[in-house]
Amino acid sequence: MRRAVGRVALALGLPVVLLVVWWFASAGSQSFYEPPLSRIVAAFPHTWTWARIRGDIAPSVIRLLIGYGLALLLGVAIGVAVGASRWLRSLTEPILEFLRAIPPPVLVPILILISGLGDRTKVLVITVGGIWPILLNTVEGVRGVDEVLADSCRSYRIHGWLRLRTLLLPAASPQIVVGARQALSISIIMMVIGELLGTTNGLGYTVIEFQRGFQIPEMWSGVFVLGLLGVVLTAIFGLLERRVLRWYHAVRAVERSRP
Amino acid sequence: MLEIQGLRKVYDGHGRQIEALRDITLTVAAGEIVCVVGPSGCGKTTLLRCIGGLLPTTSGHVRLAGTPVTGPADGLAIVFQEYGRSLFPWLRVADNVALPLRAKGLAKAQRSRLVAEALAAVNLPDAGHAYPWQLSGGMQQRVAIARALAYQPRVLLMDEPFAAVDAQTRADLEDLVRTLWHTTGVTLLFVTHDIDEAVYLGQRVVVLSSSPTHVVEDLAIDLPDERDQLSTRSDPRFVELRTHVYARIKRTETAKPVS
Repeated sequence: MRRAVGRVALALGLPVVLLVVWWFASAGSQSFYEPPLSRIVAAFPHTWTWARIRGDIAPSVIRLLIGYGLALLLGVAIGVAVGASRWLRSLTEPILEFLRAIPPPVLVPILILISGLGDRTKVLVITVGGIWPILLNTVEGVRGVDEVLADSCRSYRIHGWLRLRTLLLPAASPQIVVGARQALSISIIMMVIGELLGTTNGLGYTVIEFQRGFQIPEMWSGVFVLGLLGVVLTAIFGLLERRVLRWYHAVRAVERSRP
Repeated sequence: MLEIQGLRKVYDGHGRQIEALRDITLTVAAGEIVCVVGPSGCGKTTLLRCIGGLLPTTSGHVRLAGTPVTGPADGLAIVFQEYGRSLFPWLRVADNVALPLRAKGLAKAQRSRLVAEALAAVNLPDAGHAYPWQLSGGMQQRVAIARALAYQPRVLLMDEPFAAVDAQTRADLEDLVRTLWHTTGVTLLFVTHDIDEAVYLGQRVVVLSSSPTHVVEDLAIDLPDERDQLSTRSDPRFVELRTHVYARIKRTETAKPVS
């Protein structure tokens, strides 16, 4: 318990210090674009009203979750297929490397041309950005399945769906989680980028609107909300990870304790 | 039950051919326990993987109950040396043992009955809920043996299963193998580099040469059927047999062509 309290104190310590420094350093600021932190904080209650949460944060988060979920689903499905088959790997490797090397924001105008300005495009933008780390890490994870374990499966004639569920996916899960974690932060970035062009709601849209309307403290508060969204999602991700990879961390702990 | 005739295995690697097995011919009758022993690096594991259908042979053939082995055969189970890598760390012990039975399509009630029986047979009746990594090395290997038993194979292959456990555990596990062989009547091929272990366990000991490997001797072990770690190992006949096998292996090692 005391250790947990200590950890929380450590984790919160630096942000608190930074905020305090910011608060006093900016206190006398006359700059229009860099208002005192006190004014940014004061902007929160009238900016992030219930209507705005429903009208802007919720659509963003829903699009993010759908886009990210699709990236996860497609990335793992394609990754398992590619990782499990040598010829498919040789066939697709150059293309995957090429596609991965394209910065996803570049694809936004193309996606808008193809699929219009609707919600579908904004979801696609998130999926297209987030899929690569998941896909490539899944390929590596499936390829790295322990040989002895794979042989055990083969000799007991464990095939198909059962093999996928009990061998490939769990064995690759530590790698998949690494990819999924990267994809989460990319997805948040893509969510904002997707909302910068031709939208009428969303977090990214709101921040841009405040900037264009010279509502600077409100704009800063929007940046805060985006950051907080990232922190919350990462925390939820961490909780899920601990559940999914419980065995993995336990095995690692056992290995570390043995000479 | 098991017929291996003129088995040859050549690995093709990086333009260099490595002849792991030159000519292996041996048969194991139904219900027999045969130990294969040879100097380290003589391709014992390769032989076992060929018999288990995990590795294609270069020439010669393997027959299980008259049927040529072309892939992992029904009614054959393998216990690997690396117990830590042959059990699924994300599955509980009982699920590990039950997995091959699920692949076989057995009903749940029958599965749990076989799992309980197998775990009881290896003296781990209460370990079903544990994870493999919570158990000691010897216990993990017992679980691997239980998994093989629950599968109800006609032929059980064991690849140096006790090479990585301490001496006391090893002696216990050797006696366990003899007991299980008696009670189940399974045909058992046991590969080891430990001469004492081979003589102690086997009805026959097949001595392999160093690489390129062939059978140098097929020796009947005329020790009484009841074996005991203390009295059997001090039996003058046991000492005679192990000395004989040891001398044969030494001779093949010194006769190794310098290349």
